[in-house]
Amino acid sequence: MTNDELRSVAVTKTVDARGTACPGPLLEAKKAMGTIKSGEILEVLSADEGSKRDIPLWAKKKEIDYLGTIDEAGYFRIFIRK
Amino acid sequence: MENKKMCMALFSGSLDKLTAAGVILSGAVADDMDVEIYVLMQGARAFKRDIATNKDQLMMAENSHLREEFIAACKQLNVKEWYQFFIDAKAMANVKVHICGLAGKLWGGVKIDDFVEWADDIVGINEYITSAQNADVHLFI
Repeated sequence: MTNDELRSVAVTKTVDARGTACPGPLLEAKKAMGTIKSGEILEVLSADEGSKRDIPLWAKKKEIDYLGTIDEAGYFRIFIRK
Repeated sequence: MENKKMCMALFSGSLDKLTAAGVILSGAVADDMDVEIYVLMQGARAFKRDIATNKDQLMMAENSHLREEFIAACKQLNVKEWYQFFIDAKAMANVKVHICGLAGKLWGGVKIDDFVEWADDIVGINEYITSAQNADVHLFI
């Protein structure tokens, strides 16, 4: 998805993991996945550079759709769909 | 489908390696792996109830002069205490912590109650070998 498309998706839940270093954002994503339904979208906010690759890799293994990442000033918005 | 398995031999009792083990453990838990941790030698000392949360008792694996810098950076980055990684991982997945019987005795630990409350049991070495034989991922830290 393009950044414009990502900005307009209907996010079901946002988890703010900007206060944690690796593996915090990944674990927050995993926990939050357990609280949303199939088809719903989770947004993970992370200030950890490694999350940009780690969360998409994890999502692929768990058969979760990785929609894309928006690079904001000082943090990332990572979108995945259950 | 059966979960993949990770077997970790945790030999080190140093602050930095224990933290690294906790980070790796978290990655495995995120992948829903079943994890068996075998705590050996100096690792068993760090898992003693009177040692685990006492950072003054834990040194670095190498470059000891970097200890204070390491601790300060971890604090600034909100990195969990080493043992919290293990406690959180156990709450999220099937993670078992086994203390080597010999290693425990080296540091005066003979009963499971001598170790952190989240340690599961005291075992012999063949359990570790069997776990390693059956694991998809095997680490020695």
